[in-house]
Amino acid sequence: MDFLNAIFVQPFADMAAAPDFLLQVVWEGLVGGVLYALIALGFVLIYKSSRIFNFAQGIMVVFAALTLVGLTEKGVPALLALPLTLLVMLVLAVTIERAVLRPLVNQPDIILFMATIGITLFLIGFGEIIFGGENKVMITRELMIPTDSITLDLFGGFVSIEQKDLTSVIGAVLLVAALLLFLNRTKTGRAIRALGDDHQAALSVGISLSTIWVVVWFIAGVIALATGIAWGARAGVSFALEVIAYKALPVLMLGGLESVMGAIIGGLAIGILEKLFEVYWGQPLMGGNTEAWFAYVVALIVLLFRPQGLFGERIIERV
Amino acid sequence: MLYRTAGQFKTSYAADHALFPVRQDAILLGVVLILAFVVFPLTASEFAFRALLIPVLIYALAALGLNILTGYAGQLSLGTGAFMGVGAYACYKLITLFPEMNIVVAIALSGFFSAGVGALFGLPSLRIKGFYLAIATLAAQFFLVWLFQKWDWLYNYSASGAIHVPNISMFGITVAGPRAAAITQYYFVLAIVCVVTFFAINITRGRIGRMWKAVRDMDIAAELVGINLMRAKLTAFFVSSYIVGVSGALFVFLWRGAAEANLFDIPLSFRVLFIAIIGGLGSILGNYLGAILIVALPVIISAVPAMLGLPLASATVEHLNVMIIGVLIITFLIVEPHGLARFWAVIREKLILWPFPH
Amino acid sequence: MKKMMKTAALSAALAAGVALALPASAQEDSIYIPNLSYRTGPFAATGTPLMNGQRDYITLLNERDGGLNGVELTYDECETGYNTEKGVECYERTKENAVVTQPWSTGITLQVLPKSNVDEIPILAPGYGFSPMADGKVFQWAFNPPSSYWDGASMILKHISEGDLDNLNGKKIALLHLDHPYGKEPIPLLQALAEQHGFTLLPIPVGLTEMQNQSAQWLQIRRERPDFVLMWGWGAMNAGAVTEAAKTRYPMDQFIGIWWSGHDGDLKLIGEEGKGYRSISWSVPVPDSQLVQDIRQYVVEPGKSLIENESELDSVFYQRGLMISAMLVEAIRAAQEEFDTQAPDAEQVRWGLENLNMDEARLEELGATGMLVPFKTSCADHTGHGGAWMLEWDGEKFVKVSDLITPDREAIEPLEKQEAEAYAAANAPWPVNEECEM
Repeated sequence: MDFLNAIFVQPFADMAAAPDFLLQVVWEGLVGGVLYALIALGFVLIYKSSRIFNFAQGIMVVFAALTLVGLTEKGVPALLALPLTLLVMLVLAVTIERAVLRPLVNQPDIILFMATIGITLFLIGFGEIIFGGENKVMITRELMIPTDSITLDLFGGFVSIEQKDLTSVIGAVLLVAALLLFLNRTKTGRAIRALGDDHQAALSVGISLSTIWVVVWFIAGVIALATGIAWGARAGVSFALEVIAYKALPVLMLGGLESVMGAIIGGLAIGILEKLFEVYWGQPLMGGNTEAWFAYVVALIVLLFRPQGLFGERIIERV
Repeated sequence: MLYRTAGQFKTSYAADHALFPVRQDAILLGVVLILAFVVFPLTASEFAFRALLIPVLIYALAALGLNILTGYAGQLSLGTGAFMGVGAYACYKLITLFPEMNIVVAIALSGFFSAGVGALFGLPSLRIKGFYLAIATLAAQFFLVWLFQKWDWLYNYSASGAIHVPNISMFGITVAGPRAAAITQYYFVLAIVCVVTFFAINITRGRIGRMWKAVRDMDIAAELVGINLMRAKLTAFFVSSYIVGVSGALFVFLWRGAAEANLFDIPLSFRVLFIAIIGGLGSILGNYLGAILIVALPVIISAVPAMLGLPLASATVEHLNVMIIGVLIITFLIVEPHGLARFWAVIREKLILWPFPH
Repeated sequence: MKKMMKTAALSAALAAGVALALPASAQEDSIYIPNLSYRTGPFAATGTPLMNGQRDYITLLNERDGGLNGVELTYDECETGYNTEKGVECYERTKENAVVTQPWSTGITLQVLPKSNVDEIPILAPGYGFSPMADGKVFQWAFNPPSSYWDGASMILKHISEGDLDNLNGKKIALLHLDHPYGKEPIPLLQALAEQHGFTLLPIPVGLTEMQNQSAQWLQIRRERPDFVLMWGWGAMNAGAVTEAAKTRYPMDQFIGIWWSGHDGDLKLIGEEGKGYRSISWSVPVPDSQLVQDIRQYVVEPGKSLIENESELDSVFYQRGLMISAMLVEAIRAAQEEFDTQAPDAEQVRWGLENLNMDEARLEELGATGMLVPFKTSCADHTGHGGAWMLEWDGEKFVKVSDLITPDREAIEPLEKQEAEAYAAANAPWPVNEECEM
């Protein structure tokens, strides 16, 4: 009885008893979720246009953030470092397209997936040689990101909101809006979506595969930079950040591999749910650290009912 | 010349289907076995045993297990590390609960625990496919590693959360634990690996293996020709996880000597997957070639600058090492996506035809 | 690229040494000191300054004194990335000619520990590893001077309770720790003390993948409102924890870390906001000491050091690295004198580590006055239990804010003995050094 009580009653009683704390938990989850969504978005774009399950998205986040911080450390002003970093990401995109993707066209999915793990390893070694392994401070001040926190006094308690978290949420919303506009309103954007729908048809109407791939990897690089800035502002920039790629995988599966909306909604949902579960169930009942697997188990359960994810394209199989 | 098949006539279907349709294959295998059983033990140093030979064998075994699932039955798994962990922890519990138990029996039994867990996490494969299935195995990966950390019964409530291999002897010879000699451990692992490989070759050539391959090539078509999908997929998960579990038990008991939960985390899974893919999916030989490449190469690369007297700090060497492995993986995938095993197959074809080009 | 060039250029001497070391170290004129270092991976941030310090101390001796009593010291790093698998490989690779092994991770220490009796190479794990290693009777080949984790836990509690642990009665103490053998080390002792003195212990694990994202852990701290938070953190986890603490507005003066959680680089990330954070430490940076001046003169200025900029010289971790090498070198020196040999072997260095006497007079001779707690090891006591000081972050650097604190050995010893015996029993046959008088 106690056991059932601890699972089904107590957590909700706790939530009701301290609504300010609940709000704080939800907010923390939301901020985490936004970042998951951003990474998942990078995955989705690449998957849509090239059927590549890009494991390297995580390391691209680290790489972009390190380049930005590294350039500033070398004395480049922040506002110049930003476009320079974008340039580096563009070079990276072109290199990946030339050296890895082009020779691997038409290979099975798993081979391409492995190739992106190869890219990950390469970037880890390369990045550590250039930037060293130290934990670096994100240049929040130079980028004019406010670092104070706002305290809301609510329900006899308080909810503390970091301005940099708020900035990253707003920044992410703007980025996603821009991305959606780009995908829906521009010629290149439409070409990307066309490739996602049907490779051969897209090729036959004259869409250049290699240009689109560079564009898509570059956009993924931009998203990686945004994620890197947001996450780096929270906890510093180091190679330990790379593991957030593992967090984006379940988000992706939950939302469906091809769906931009799915990545966003999946990211937010997983961010909030895993935080609630960890705080109200995981820590009191299971010894904590449930965030390591919670997202995967949720995604697995959802997939059992919808094998293509919540927003994915229906899988039609023919013999 | 070396591989001339002239003069070898097949007079029955049985001969055509034999394990070694060409006599030279059998001779070559014999040579490899002599190398493994006689030459290496006579020449290898302790470092070579512990850093090269034993890990290559154990990783090859793990990759063999994964290859049965991914290469033969077509089910992608990213949870190999955790299943190895199940084998290792099961073996640890068996050994500590029943200290009298023979270690071979304990290792053989621990495979069944991992097989059971594997089959359980294989259930979603009946509904989920491709990359989506990877999520099921990743769920297993993260959940199990978390469980290894939190369930203190598994590591006998030790404060550090790590498990230690006690000294275990068999017929008066210490085979596991800090007092075991490297050469004993090598022979022990080699014997188990040979036995498991023998079974794996036969199972993949037989009815079950054909069933798996049909499912891999197209599961709906396989179902239409009367293959029970559930049985095929679950047996694949079961057999694969059994082998992976055995390799996990060997990994800790015959090689590492101690382990903590993080050891079985996702990098281990990826490492085994690399071996299987670079070696060649759907091949038994490939696992060994892949393991030699992935395990031995970093050890050799990190020794090279020192040997040549190149002025590189060990951290830089390690960074370069990671980079080189990344590049090698990509290069291999580009040059031969079907893996090293296919390389060998091509060479063998060429040798059979040699000196004539066609 | 610049860094790479620098690394390449500066390590020329080192690597040339390494190249020759493999055949040469068996000779009389050099002593081979391998170090299982990590300058890569998620823990590089904290590992690098320590390794730099260790390396520079050896370089200093070779440059200034021409080695140790005329014998060159060959320092060789093998990169593990804090990965146990790599660590064991490095151990196997370096053990042949090694007089000591420095595993640099509790996980690797636990792996190497059972082998130490067989391979007969002493393990030097200053301030880390398995706390019961203090029992020299059982762990003949393992050394963790000058204080063990259990000593550390005991000293922190003693400090926050102002000397009497009963003052903690009814209080709640959270232990924020890395979910790894290292982070779990203090739990048995803290649990025992919690029962004895009536405080509540709340262990809060941080997974390796959650190091940079500890918001769940700090939400728990906010909900549970512990009176004190102790931290056993490492690598990227420290920086994450301190940032979150500032964000949660947890009072910094109730937040205390073990010695590995007192890294300048981590605290610099939050600067002023971290004011009041304390970390216990058995080493203190003394920027104007003779030793540091010599390092500057003989190692840094000729460009023989790997440090990124000179300010690193004054950091806690760099100077701790110096002290770690100092302990090792003193042990080798003791062995040289006792056995009247130029190049002592592993067995003899073991004797040296067992008869290490780092008293204040000796520290002064080394030019390191006040940089390390004085301690003395013996056959039965492989730790020395020198105690530690409390350091506090003042917004820019760590400063010493307490007198020497000593652990409550009476409370620790029984547990240490019990755990050591349990370890020996589980690893039977395990040789015990009966010659030691307790």
